[in-house]
Amino acid sequence: MMLSTLQRRLWAEQKKSKHRRIWLIPFAFFLFEALWMIWQFTSAHTEELTTGYLMLFYDLPIINTIIMPIMVAVIASRLCDMEIKGETLKLLYTLQEPESFFDCKYLAGAKYLFFFTAGHSILILASGRIFHFGYSLKISMLIEYLAVTLCTSLVLLALQQMMSLISNSQIMPLTVGLAGSFLGLFSLFFPAPLARLVIWGYFAAFPCVKMDWDRATRITEFYEVPFPLVGFLIFAVFGILLFIICRIIVTRKEI
Amino acid sequence: MSSVILTDSLTKQYGKKTVVDSLDLKVPARSIYGFLGPNGAGKSTTLKLLLGLIKPTEGNIRILGQKVTQKNRLNILAQTGSLIESPAYYGHLSGKENLRIICTLKNVPLRCIDQVLAIVRMTEQQNKKVSQYSLGMKQRLGLATALLGMPKLLLLDEPTNGLDPAGIQEMRELICSLPQKCNMTVVVSSHLLSEIDQMATHVGIIDQGQLIFQDTLSSLHEYSRSRIILRTNNDSAAMKVLKQSHIPAGWSENTLTLKVHQENRIADAVTLLVHAGIGIHRIYEQQMSLEDIFLHLTGKKVSL
Repeated sequence: MMLSTLQRRLWAEQKKSKHRRIWLIPFAFFLFEALWMIWQFTSAHTEELTTGYLMLFYDLPIINTIIMPIMVAVIASRLCDMEIKGETLKLLYTLQEPESFFDCKYLAGAKYLFFFTAGHSILILASGRIFHFGYSLKISMLIEYLAVTLCTSLVLLALQQMMSLISNSQIMPLTVGLAGSFLGLFSLFFPAPLARLVIWGYFAAFPCVKMDWDRATRITEFYEVPFPLVGFLIFAVFGILLFIICRIIVTRKEI
Repeated sequence: MSSVILTDSLTKQYGKKTVVDSLDLKVPARSIYGFLGPNGAGKSTTLKLLLGLIKPTEGNIRILGQKVTQKNRLNILAQTGSLIESPAYYGHLSGKENLRIICTLKNVPLRCIDQVLAIVRMTEQQNKKVSQYSLGMKQRLGLATALLGMPKLLLLDEPTNGLDPAGIQEMRELICSLPQKCNMTVVVSSHLLSEIDQMATHVGIIDQGQLIFQDTLSSLHEYSRSRIILRTNNDSAAMKVLKQSHIPAGWSENTLTLKVHQENRIADAVTLLVHAGIGIHRIYEQQMSLEDIFLHLTGKKVSL
């Protein structure tokens, strides 16, 4: 069977990850979120379950802000440290362009994020069925949530991949991922212009649901807001630019 | 003999420091080209320049008759194999799995794996994880990787580094067999004269980024032809007598040297000196070692 150059390179990238069990990383994070949902909804009152989807679309982006930067950092690190440890770049760059290597590595990492996001949609749909949420799911809301989660994690992946490939040790990129998780969470309490500077906080920067908590009645009310499409598109463009910059940094580095 | 590698004023600078200085390499086809120089002379940088891993500040490179550009670099390198500094490998995979990845990237049939494993004598260890390999086995795997697809040109940077004496011998035999067995040209860099002496057919000596010698190994050995040293009680008078009798001789560093090798000419010189009343303390033959030649060429003592 004749394979195209790109197919061959992607296949090689796939084979490099053999025995690494990288899929366990997103699976562990997925399991954590599933357990959190089970705990959340089994302890919820029946009236709270009526707004189950709205609650999910409010809470999940915040949880993603905490866990996703770490998950993306670990995936990028697992994929890249084999190249650093084995000093393979000096061989690989004689077989493929550095740009192509960066792209294939990125797609290998993106694959896990696609599966993780797809898993999220199943988790949300399953929660609705199992816990009998009151209102039906708005597909547009689900798509918006998945788009923000995937897009933000893909932007972070470019950044983490760049750091993992230019560092001799994976401590620095993993520390940045961990610090990003905290910074992202804190950025939710920053003034909007300052929060915009923290890319780890973008998981929760485009809400389609907001919350109103009444101090007197101690009742939380979730309500829909229009999705900030323009802001999201600007972020997506910024993400593409960041990817290009990261790619240039890695490919310009002399071996 | 056509040249497989030709460089023209190849230069690499890092800031103000010139690491490779106007190098004009000429590597003949089917030769084993020993690229010799002390540590830090610019050998690895030169090989990386040839492979396009770093960009030259100045100069051109021609490999297998084609000028190397950013566009055709990979097409040209498809006909080369390389082992730079240390073997590249994925430790969590077996030797065979490593070779499979490179086969895929090189677009070489998977059946080549068995062939290269046999050449480097690694058939039995092919299913073992590379992280469990000894350095020698990793080095042999690196060579097997370079041999995949039987390239026309092989660039090996210090391939015996870190190997034990038996491993060095084995690697050396392997490299020496390649031009005949696989019709290849091999460029092998080393900082060890003895190693190059035992492997190479051609030699390039680099020091401080400059190529100070490039020719066949036998030409290099020309330098090492023996000299007849005379110890007399009056060197200046002896020089005068020899000069008058048209017997080539030289005097430097307090040593009188006869530049003749025929036994009868040496006997004539001794007779002349004795008749002239010059006392001869000693007469002996001195062989110039490759190390001496290297020191003579570089003009200084370097760590070898």
